[in-house]
Amino acid sequence: MTWQPELDELRLRQSHAKELGGADKVARQHAGGRLTVRERIDGMADPGTFHEIGATAGKAEYDEEGNLKRLTPSNCVMGRGKVDGRTVVLLGDDFTVRGGSADATIREKPIMAERMAYEFRLPLIRIIEGSGGGGSVKTIETTGRANLPGGVGGGALYHYTGANLSMVPVVALGLGSVAGLGAARLAASHYSVMTKKSAMFVAGPPVVKRLGQDLSKTELGGWEIQTKSGAVDHATETEEEAFEAARRFLSYLPSSVYGTPPVTECADDPNRRDEKLFTHIPRDRRRVYQMRPIIETVVDKGSFFEMGKMFGRSIITGFARLNGKPVALMASDPFFYGGSWTADACAKIIRFVDLAETFHLPIVYLQDCPGFMVGLDAEKAATIRLGVRAMAAVNQTTVPWCTMIIRNAFGVAGVVHQPAGRLSLRYAWLSARWGSLPLEGGIEAAYAADLAGAEDPAAELGRIEDRLNKLRSPFRTAETFWVEDVIDPRETRRLLCDFADLAQPLLSPTPAALRMRP
Amino acid sequence: MAETTTVRAEIGASVWKITAAAGAAVGEDEPILILESMKMEIPVSAPHAGTVVEVLVAEGEQVEEGQAVATLRR
Repeated sequence: MTWQPELDELRLRQSHAKELGGADKVARQHAGGRLTVRERIDGMADPGTFHEIGATAGKAEYDEEGNLKRLTPSNCVMGRGKVDGRTVVLLGDDFTVRGGSADATIREKPIMAERMAYEFRLPLIRIIEGSGGGGSVKTIETTGRANLPGGVGGGALYHYTGANLSMVPVVALGLGSVAGLGAARLAASHYSVMTKKSAMFVAGPPVVKRLGQDLSKTELGGWEIQTKSGAVDHATETEEEAFEAARRFLSYLPSSVYGTPPVTECADDPNRRDEKLFTHIPRDRRRVYQMRPIIETVVDKGSFFEMGKMFGRSIITGFARLNGKPVALMASDPFFYGGSWTADACAKIIRFVDLAETFHLPIVYLQDCPGFMVGLDAEKAATIRLGVRAMAAVNQTTVPWCTMIIRNAFGVAGVVHQPAGRLSLRYAWLSARWGSLPLEGGIEAAYAADLAGAEDPAAELGRIEDRLNKLRSPFRTAETFWVEDVIDPRETRRLLCDFADLAQPLLSPTPAALRMRP
Repeated sequence: MAETTTVRAEIGASVWKITAAAGAAVGEDEPILILESMKMEIPVSAPHAGTVVEVLVAEGEQVEEGQAVATLRR
């Protein structure tokens, strides 16, 4: 005696599930240049490691004798798999079944995936397409009643969508058109990626057309819109590149807040000096320079992983390794408003330092900040409130912190180069200059009486400038220990690696007091 | 037909100096014009080598983020 008939039925049901929404829908997905959810999971997980949960859940049709005719799977595929050898939860929408919408969703599947990530402390990768399990206009007819969002007991998905951010790394990939709940699940992540063919929006073109905005999907929510707005962190040409970006993001992080970031072997000499650093900063203070080559040369070779490049661009943020140890690195980009902190840059900093705090990554800041952005647009954007929020976020961190002042540190934004209430390491390059206010443009106002009384005001202005410039040498500041160390910039890598080594034993695998928000 | 590229300002700023007028040959990453923002000179550079077809702004003019400032032909 065996259980062969039952095994045959199980295999039959599984084979139906593998067919997704049917051959024609799969062909349409491929014709659109998009992979199916199962191909995506295969592309994301290490080969052969995906253990699916609930594959045979779906809507079944039976003949008159009660025999299975067809099983249309739920449009959520989920389970556990490995990524670079580490177990993660994978959760994908199947667009071939009712466009990924709630009509074909079994509500408990995505909830279980989110809950499993939380309770088993496993990184979560959401692969999102369509409305991400949200309702469609037709839902009311299939259910026969209107759905109160969340309803009674329906809030669990929303609970974990937020709660997981304080527990495990959450990566979200938007592949195709992503709307409504799908957009929310994409944005509610630590790191979101979309392909350049994809689009994300709260509501799509037919809806916004009623507002008088006649836009294509990508004009409304394409990568150029969403990466610049900061709603999505990164855009790739292909889905495979999106999977690679997700893998790389996770490689710097522990599996949960109950671990510390994984340390790797480092083949790069921690004492390596790059002569180019000695000449990289122009002596002419009005001239800008590229920050990214500095980052690339001071961190372990090839280890810098930038995130959110298109948003709040006066600040560069990303992960890197120093002597094999992961750090969260932020740096100014003088090409954007001289490196001043715009409202967007402040929002970017808040999310970034919160991410570092959540997953116990030491923070390195390469600073060149002339202050908060000024002007009417900056005032309208509430730059100062976002600015003090960024200050509070920095001050609330507890992870080890090291700042290199590359050039400017001015004003209140200049203050926020280290957490105010605790010890951190700080070094100033030879090119560093600071003050409560930049001298440029301020001298005429501050010395108006002297200039007005001078025979030759231009010559007098020159004399005052010379006098003040001598005073703002960083060595004068160092005399009184208002700055600890002025360094040869070629020493930067050695000192940053030294910092990472000092920081490593201080990292504590316990949840941060902070509860992270998207 | 030679490919024409629109070069855009990445920040809102005033145009301080035009360094490559229409007809000038520029190399990749060579400035076409220089903006001034927060007392800094910020170049807008050619994304690839080519000839400047047209500079669409004048010195002293305010430009907005994303505004087309020049066209470039390979």
